[in-house]
Amino acid sequence: MTDDKDVLRDVWFGRIPTCFTLYQDEITEREAEPYYLLLPRVSYLTLVTDKVKKHFQKVMRQEDISEIWFEYEGTPLKWHYPIGLLFDLLASSSALPWNITVHFKGFPEKDLLHCPSKDAIEAHFMSCVKEADALKHKSQVINEMQKKDHKQLWMGLHNDRFDQFWAINRKLMEYPAEENGFRYIPFRIYQTTTERPFIQKLFRPVATDGQLHTLGDLLKEVCPSAVVPEDEEKQNQVLIHGIEPMLETPLQWLSEHLSYPDNFLHISIIPQPTD
Amino acid sequence: MEEEEFFGEQTFQHYCKEFIKHSQQIGDGWEWRTSKDHSDGYMCKTHFQIKNGTVVSHLGASAHGQTCLPMEEAFELPLDDSEVTEAAAATEVIKYEYHVLYSCSYQVPVLYFRASFLDGRPLSLKDIWEGVGECYKTRLQQGPWDTITQQEHPILGQPFFVLHPCRTTELMSPVVKNSRKINRNINYITSWLSIVGPVVGLPLPLSYARASSQDE
Repeated sequence: MTDDKDVLRDVWFGRIPTCFTLYQDEITEREAEPYYLLLPRVSYLTLVTDKVKKHFQKVMRQEDISEIWFEYEGTPLKWHYPIGLLFDLLASSSALPWNITVHFKGFPEKDLLHCPSKDAIEAHFMSCVKEADALKHKSQVINEMQKKDHKQLWMGLHNDRFDQFWAINRKLMEYPAEENGFRYIPFRIYQTTTERPFIQKLFRPVATDGQLHTLGDLLKEVCPSAVVPEDEEKQNQVLIHGIEPMLETPLQWLSEHLSYPDNFLHISIIPQPTD
Repeated sequence: MEEEEFFGEQTFQHYCKEFIKHSQQIGDGWEWRTSKDHSDGYMCKTHFQIKNGTVVSHLGASAHGQTCLPMEEAFELPLDDSEVTEAAAATEVIKYEYHVLYSCSYQVPVLYFRASFLDGRPLSLKDIWEGVGECYKTRLQQGPWDTITQQEHPILGQPFFVLHPCRTTELMSPVVKNSRKINRNINYITSWLSIVGPVVGLPLPLSYARASSQDE
């Protein structure tokens, strides 16, 4: 029988085979070959694409290079969303590898945040971790930690070190013995069909009668259009890390085991693929 | 959703509505926008500023440090033809947008803002500071808040600058405690915005405070 801890490893080591191609209108001195890379689902584009940048910059002149940005089928990719979320939301119905286009000009100011440095990624990541703890523990656990513990979370992610990361993150997954779970569950639900980038609301993992709330309960409450009655045909897929968890799964369990390193459950709702 | 905390989302919306009532009375331009799915909304204000080359044209130092120039007034300035061309070439009009949203994670209001030229080109944070003035920069450095960062607007999905909310409770607690002590009702939004607004170049006319104390 698989241990719950194995799930943590499977989530951490998830990868997406990706093919990076330079945008055809970029100016190059020689032809640019595509670059293939296995992207970690739990990380961020600008954190793991240094090699991609170097590869394409080798065939370009310095004056033709500005801030790098990525695009999939015309949609600029938000570097501040985890890679796995972007893939599930935008490309999971298509065949692998994931084909991403690389740009060095024409940064879409209205759509994307700038990513001036690795520090910006760290700041964003830590900001998400803090927000998650505000929901789970009124910020008590994260505030009790020392700066070096915060640094260890970031370094664990940055260097792909599961043990280093979870040595600290396990504290963020604890809750008082007298409770049955966190105060509120940190989650965000994403759909491409809405203008709103995501749905985030206060939602408790345990009902007043002590029953554990399920994924289905969450969806019914905050995104009812995603859930249809049993006898009707399923319109959507509800994905977390590329899988469809059963709607009966307790939300508390999902939060402890299927959260991203930022401690949020990033849930994608996509139209049911027709194949 | 439960509203057990002092500052729940319903309370936020109530204070905003009261704030907007007064804004309408004095023509201060704040309005409420509901999200497309009608589940929530935010308060917003847009104002325009003329930029003369790199120097902001101040309207003199008025009582509440007004640095913006209403559009109608700008174009009523008496200029002859040659001055108009020069002025037009040297000036740029900047559009400032301020949005007040509710953070359910921190259960406090959050201030989002951005600035752009009329053709849509956005201003960087550095450019925005040039238009705001030194005295406000000092306030930012002194206050109990984290730095301003660029973040995605949770309802519009576009890049905005944000004054981070995680220390708002700390910032507001003396105000809230005091109002309870002297048994006087305050509009949380008015008090909060009067503190954080000026830091990002958004001064609040004093009449808001008088209006708050007249409620109830």
